[in-house]
Amino acid sequence: MNHLIYLYGTDWGMGQFPICSVWMILFTPLVAAALITLLTGRQKGLSAALSIGAILISFALSLRLFLLFALKGIQHHPHPIQWLVVGNTVRINFGMTTDALALLMLLVVTGVGSAIHIYSLGYMKGDPGFSRFFACMSLFTFSMLGIVISSNFIQIFIFWELVGVSSYLLIGYWFERPSAADAGNKAFLTTRIGDVGMMLGILLLWSHAHTFEFTELKAKLPTLGLPVGTLALIGALIFAGAVGKSAQVPLHVWLPDAMEGPTPVSALIHAATMVAAGVYMLCRISWLILPSQTALWLIAWIGAITALMAATIAIAQNDIKRILAYSTLSQLGYMVMAVGLGGPTQAMFHLTTHAFFKALLFLGAGSVIIALHHEQDIWKMGGLWKKTPITFWTFLIGTLALAGVPPLSGFYSKDEILLLAIERNPMLFVMAVATAFLTAYYMGREVFVVFFGKPRDYHAYDHAQESPWVMTLPLIFLAALSIVAGWYSKVPDFLGPPHEAQRHSSLLTGGLILVPLFGFLVAAKIYWKAEPSDAPVKVALGNLWTLVENKYYFDELYHWIIQYVQGTIAIVCDVFDRWILQRLGIGGLSVGTGLLGRTVRLLQTGSISGYAFLIGLGVTVIIYYAVVR
Amino acid sequence: MTSAITLNDYLIVSGLLFALGIAGVIIRRNALVIYMALEMNLNAANLALIAFSKFNKLVEGQILVFFVIAIAAAEVAVGLAIIVALYRRKQTISVDQLTTMRL
Amino acid sequence: MTPVPYFDVLKGLGAEVILTLTALVALTLDLASVRRAEMSVRSRTIGTTAVVGLLASTLPLWQQLNGPRMVLLGGTLAMDDLIIFFKLVIVALAVITVLISMDFDVGRHVGEYYAVLLFGAVGMMLLISAEELITIFVALELTSVSLYILTAFHKGELRSQEAAVKYFMFGAISSAFLLFGLSYVFGVTGATGLQAIQDAVKNTGGLAMSPLLATGLLFTIVGFGFKVAVVPFHLWAPDAYEGAPTPVTAYIATGSKVASFFILLKVLFIGFAGLQGSAFWGNFASGWTMLLAVTATLSMILGNCAAIVQHNVKRLLAYSSIAQAGYIFIGLVAATKMGANSVLFYIIVYALANLGAFGVVAALSSRAGGDEMQNFDGMARRAPFLSLLMLIFVLSLAGIPPLGGFFGKFYLFASAVQRDAQHFGLLWLVILGIVMSAVSLYYYLILLKHIYVIDGSDQSPIITPTYLNVALGLVALAVVALGVYPKPILELLNNFSYSVIAGLVR
Repeated sequence: MNHLIYLYGTDWGMGQFPICSVWMILFTPLVAAALITLLTGRQKGLSAALSIGAILISFALSLRLFLLFALKGIQHHPHPIQWLVVGNTVRINFGMTTDALALLMLLVVTGVGSAIHIYSLGYMKGDPGFSRFFACMSLFTFSMLGIVISSNFIQIFIFWELVGVSSYLLIGYWFERPSAADAGNKAFLTTRIGDVGMMLGILLLWSHAHTFEFTELKAKLPTLGLPVGTLALIGALIFAGAVGKSAQVPLHVWLPDAMEGPTPVSALIHAATMVAAGVYMLCRISWLILPSQTALWLIAWIGAITALMAATIAIAQNDIKRILAYSTLSQLGYMVMAVGLGGPTQAMFHLTTHAFFKALLFLGAGSVIIALHHEQDIWKMGGLWKKTPITFWTFLIGTLALAGVPPLSGFYSKDEILLLAIERNPMLFVMAVATAFLTAYYMGREVFVVFFGKPRDYHAYDHAQESPWVMTLPLIFLAALSIVAGWYSKVPDFLGPPHEAQRHSSLLTGGLILVPLFGFLVAAKIYWKAEPSDAPVKVALGNLWTLVENKYYFDELYHWIIQYVQGTIAIVCDVFDRWILQRLGIGGLSVGTGLLGRTVRLLQTGSISGYAFLIGLGVTVIIYYAVVR
Repeated sequence: MTSAITLNDYLIVSGLLFALGIAGVIIRRNALVIYMALEMNLNAANLALIAFSKFNKLVEGQILVFFVIAIAAAEVAVGLAIIVALYRRKQTISVDQLTTMRL
Repeated sequence: MTPVPYFDVLKGLGAEVILTLTALVALTLDLASVRRAEMSVRSRTIGTTAVVGLLASTLPLWQQLNGPRMVLLGGTLAMDDLIIFFKLVIVALAVITVLISMDFDVGRHVGEYYAVLLFGAVGMMLLISAEELITIFVALELTSVSLYILTAFHKGELRSQEAAVKYFMFGAISSAFLLFGLSYVFGVTGATGLQAIQDAVKNTGGLAMSPLLATGLLFTIVGFGFKVAVVPFHLWAPDAYEGAPTPVTAYIATGSKVASFFILLKVLFIGFAGLQGSAFWGNFASGWTMLLAVTATLSMILGNCAAIVQHNVKRLLAYSSIAQAGYIFIGLVAATKMGANSVLFYIIVYALANLGAFGVVAALSSRAGGDEMQNFDGMARRAPFLSLLMLIFVLSLAGIPPLGGFFGKFYLFASAVQRDAQHFGLLWLVILGIVMSAVSLYYYLILLKHIYVIDGSDQSPIITPTYLNVALGLVALAVVALGVYPKPILELLNNFSYSVIAGLVR
């Protein structure tokens, strides 16, 4: 009995709380995934109930931990479990981090995740792989929570890859669509490129510090006396992992394609949680990055470039989900830039609010897509605001929050980052403001084209109807959060010492309010009409439009490189095989002797001189080596 | 100037034999001849072993040679069987023709 | 002269004795009683006999476990916990191979097939306990000759014959190189026992002083290089893997690899302990670590790149094996206790994942009409369970956590980074390894794409025998377990107070 009491805790009150709460948060989704796979695969309802129940339990427990900490300041340090020890140098724990950062992230993941799980109930209805879908979702939730609570580099890396695997499964979920499977492969491979750097960085750090634990490393780092260059290298290498997972330039190409997966997956993985994992990891190891100016500089610039570039691409996209995908890229760039500017707290704040309103936007888009029977082209929509009022209003809230209109949450978090930028690096500030303007502009374009104007496809329009409550309820929930999430101004403080920005610079803040409004105005001028079109912008931008419409030709470039490399490899292998194996038959010993033999064979038809040549050479070598020296 | 045979002389002959064997393997196309060349390689090693044994006054080298001879016999049995099986299928034992499996 | 304690020898080699007897029983049984029976019945009967024999052979091994280190026949064969553990690994691999074979058409000579397979296992087990040059050579040849025969077992198929000829020729060359190298080593050191060689090497003054020793070392490594198929001595591997009957391919790629790597580790770490030289960047010194570093580099690059353009699943796995051998060499190059442990751990993980992958290929290809990539199109819907297992095996080979392959690779790389950490000595090799394992994911995903995504023309479900599913399922479970909870095995490997490490600097 005792262990049961230990497992479930004796005291559910506010006093001591069982360490296993954290364990339960983590493992409940895994148990659900296992149960669905093994037992309830055929009973769809039960599978969904298990999966949703699991994440709701995780959510409730996370909320409780969060409140305990936020209101009463109770923090627990669960003892890590020793996972393995090899010799004196390799010690890897399976630990639990429950500091403010982790608690906040737990709350975001489980909270947004719960809403999306429930929403999926409606969205995936009637799908043949219903149970499989929920099993994968639970597996993903487990992996993501694993990243959040990780207490060392190996643990985080393992869950990091697990997230990659489960998202690979989820993106490729629609087997029937080869493009979805390709996107899954692309996502897996691209993020893996970043992980190469990350693994290398981890190993490098370990070879000097001999530990993987975050807390120990944090304490040890100043005493190690690492050269500046090494420190910057380690920081940059680990950042590479975040570049892959958070889809920063130049590894951003996978994210928009990943939108091939079902919409709830896009919302959960490619908006709210997994892509934020990179930012979360950077915040988790900010003690490693902050001492290195070079690493910070690199991070800030990559973030800013991503933010601006993705925003420009978004203005020319026609797929309702792709616009949101590029917007996600852009906002992730914001967060990464914030980390690079030395403000992990601000980055986390924006991550939190962004998770709410971006999930909301994706789910709203999904609702529109369902209403129009899987139509994703915005130019085939129009006038939907009357048909799907709840979707419209919640989508609008999400849009305003994303654009940063006060008093919605996005305004506060974005404001913090902009204030940080103007203080630390004016150049980046300009880029960030440009991004903010573009954000309002393309979101305005999407709203006006999708919900206003005349319907362009009357058949679809006539059949359009509001989604069922399982889908609208999560929308309303997330909309409410998108509004209020920024009001609790203690959130940033709670993560650590507040940064010393001039909060009094109300003039600047006032100016920043105008940026999104201006963006909306421009968008309204162009697109708020009965039959909107891109034509005026196309004319005005000229070649620039073609450039952004084709996403700066990144895909083509990479495609070309891959083709080229693969072609070259094929030729090399072919030559290798043919020359060495075929010409020399099985006798080809090695490249050196093989080519030699070939030369000999070409020299003569009778074999005598060939023998003589080779023997002479061989004997010389052996005699020289064995005897003369 | 003495004309006694030294260890080095044996080693040179053994090295020559080995080189000859490798040359045969590389240049000849007939599987049987290649196989004979391979036997020559083994015998080169045998020669070196016996020479070392004799000059170092150790017996292990000679023991190894016995084992090698036995093993070579086993290899002959298996190798010839394989070559014959190939010949039955293909009516040739030229290694140039062994190109069924390609990239 | 003391009499040879034959009884002790028989006791010490109980497992090998049982296997040899089982092989003879299998031959007789096939000849005497079931020859006229149906093919599948014969295969089942003889196969079951082989499995029983293999399981019986573990009994003496269990008994010897936790005993003191024991040497037989004047130090030619040794017995300790590490050796027994690896013999058990060999038995496990052989059992799975037999199970795969029972489901596979191996031709008319069923009894001979299983007998030779068991003789191969005996060779591998002897190889693992050998600690003396003569014994090493004999055991290696016993293993190799058995495998040549097995490769040629598809008498009706041309591919099999070609593969056998190539495998045999290259195997014979490698034996010649190895023997030539060993003869020089013997000549210089005057010893054949590995420990004695180590002691003698210290007196020779190293490679620079003794060109004969250098030649011996070089030729020995070339010989072993052929056996474990690293570039540039790999040319036989793709053809032999593709042409051999798939269960045999699995056996070559796993059992013989494990044994060869184990003995290579012993030869290098015990015999040539004083000759490792240095493979540190910018500080190269001649010795075996440098040679291995070069071959590791070539293997990782060529193996992975060539695998990308393959169309045949077995050939793809062959090139992937070449690349994997390159990773394993990284651990050897580290030349530390940690490096040795990481190599031992990785060969277990590698062997299991590879055995599983070939097992799935064997089970599916015979029913899908071939082992080209196209034959596997849409396999996920025809054989969902085996496809899932294939996913696990392949991702483990690619090194994705939480599977065994991830931790194994991590351990290898960590051991190399650890060495000369201050000057990033082996970092170049580790960078290459990590980058190349990312490349490897590319072709593994191509394979998975054929299985999971592309629709095949044939949609009929494939039914495989339950015993095979269970066996492969257990292998997959082991692969997952080694990744999720490697602690027991690692502690086991670490605690072996084994002389492998004794000769090393640290």
